[in-house]
Amino acid sequence: MTAYETVIGLEVHIELSTNSKIFCSCTNGSDADPNTHVCPACCGMPGMLPVANREVINLGMTAGMMLNCDINRTTTFDKKSYYYPDLPASYQTTQWFAPVAVNGHVTIDTPEGPKDIRIKQIHMEEDAGKLVHDNLTFTTLVDFNRTSVPLIEIVSQPDLRNADEVEAYLERLRTLLRFAKVSGARMEKGTMRADVNLSVRPAGSQELGVRTEMKNMASIAAIRRAIEFETARHIDAIENGTEELVQETRGWNDDAGTSFSMRTKETAGDYRYFPDPNIMPIVIDDEWFDRIKASLPQLPEEKREHYMAEVGLSEYDADMLTQSRAFCDCFEGAMAAGAAPKDAANWIITNCAGVLNKRGMTSDELPVPGTALGQLIGLVDGGKLSSANGKRLLETLFDVAERDESIPEDMEAYAETEGLLNSSDTGELEAVVAAVIAADPETAQAYRDGREKALNPLFGACMQQLKGKCDTQVLRELLIAELNKG
Amino acid sequence: MDRDTLQKLEQLNQLSLTVQEQDDVLAFFAAREADWEALVEIDTEQVERMVHVQPLVNVLRDDVASQPFSREDLLAQAPESMDGYWQVPQVL
Repeated sequence: MTAYETVIGLEVHIELSTNSKIFCSCTNGSDADPNTHVCPACCGMPGMLPVANREVINLGMTAGMMLNCDINRTTTFDKKSYYYPDLPASYQTTQWFAPVAVNGHVTIDTPEGPKDIRIKQIHMEEDAGKLVHDNLTFTTLVDFNRTSVPLIEIVSQPDLRNADEVEAYLERLRTLLRFAKVSGARMEKGTMRADVNLSVRPAGSQELGVRTEMKNMASIAAIRRAIEFETARHIDAIENGTEELVQETRGWNDDAGTSFSMRTKETAGDYRYFPDPNIMPIVIDDEWFDRIKASLPQLPEEKREHYMAEVGLSEYDADMLTQSRAFCDCFEGAMAAGAAPKDAANWIITNCAGVLNKRGMTSDELPVPGTALGQLIGLVDGGKLSSANGKRLLETLFDVAERDESIPEDMEAYAETEGLLNSSDTGELEAVVAAVIAADPETAQAYRDGREKALNPLFGACMQQLKGKCDTQVLRELLIAELNKG
Repeated sequence: MDRDTLQKLEQLNQLSLTVQEQDDVLAFFAAREADWEALVEIDTEQVERMVHVQPLVNVLRDDVASQPFSREDLLAQAPESMDGYWQVPQVL
């Protein structure tokens, strides 16, 4: 029986984290009510002129550098013509002749060791609108909010050989682009989508087989299933002649676990690419290139090594923090604000992650800056804030961010406004201690008779009256002193 | 330009030309065939690709979102609309 090899190349679309669209100043926010982030330019009205967003070019360059690409110092936009209602101008503005980045690679881990997946190019382009098919009126409804939202498309060479490698490649892309703040790259939110190009050939052959493309795959699990199904379908067609393989675009029905023919694949000529005369060339000089290069983050594995070797974190803590750029930024900010590394790591991994989890947020969405967390930890360590109230204060910071308000700069003043600071009034503590002992003379006497555990309910009663706002060490000392007075 | 190419272009552009219109287009291209061939013969091997006819580069804007355009004004341009959407013939 012939052994076969699957050959896979991916085209990955990543939505860029910008404030505005790529060629007009509408908000980049496709989740809003339909057609509320639109203007005559992104609706393709005649005579409207596009003006490119500088930040899109910055992020395109950043992505290129993160994926070890050469940056084209002169990069241009082109028109790709096709007719569909989600594309109001009847052409997509994209890059064909001089994409922003070319000839890169991404290294993935495989059971055989590290493997480089070559990147053919990264180009910048605009997204299309969303279509809703209305079965009551038998019409199609069009929402242009997503039209002209900035994307990069990362085109790999056909270097992937199975679903495991595809998963490793997508995860690596996601990590690198999130670390560089190019995109949230969340498949479940549609900000990362992949087209899977797949063919099958006898093992050892250098010739490529007939290639089919499955478009707009939005989950790694679905991609795995689609690759396995398509590989089996291709081999069956070659071995048993069950069907004639043709170059085509196919859809994937994840519920049924099958692919289906959508249309015969267009060739590049069908798109009639030509330079967009309305967008001037972009020339990247040394100053611009160097500025983007200098802004690149340390890679996650470099940070992990640094945290263990130089900061002194455990392997577990370093692994947990380097899952997310937001965690790393918060950790480093907290240390800069004076927090001990182990304390900062614990607060992020335990308390911040707990609140994120409770609110259904990802680690990349951590809204608490490191300076705020560092101050908060300092207040707890300094006895000005109880640990429980520190956690309450942390929760309120999430609320502040949720309301789109600025995180307060002075945590001590903020904790005071929130009424969470420990009482510094010893007189108040002494009064509470005296009242608690007077209210429960039997337990007090039990302690005096040598039953040390009797201290706990008395301490708890004091904490309850003080609503947790005290330095627990000071309270404990006062309570013991008062009890010992007899 | 031959009739097959023209018909392919018609299909790509969602056009439907009459036979007379096709004949007119084909005659237009046929009359200029010698001109096209003369252009193809020009040696451009050593000529640097011209990126744009204008001497302008880096016409860019800052990443600042502006107030949205009125949805009602835009939808007033649509032949049909429904519930805030543009409404078009069914495509699936």
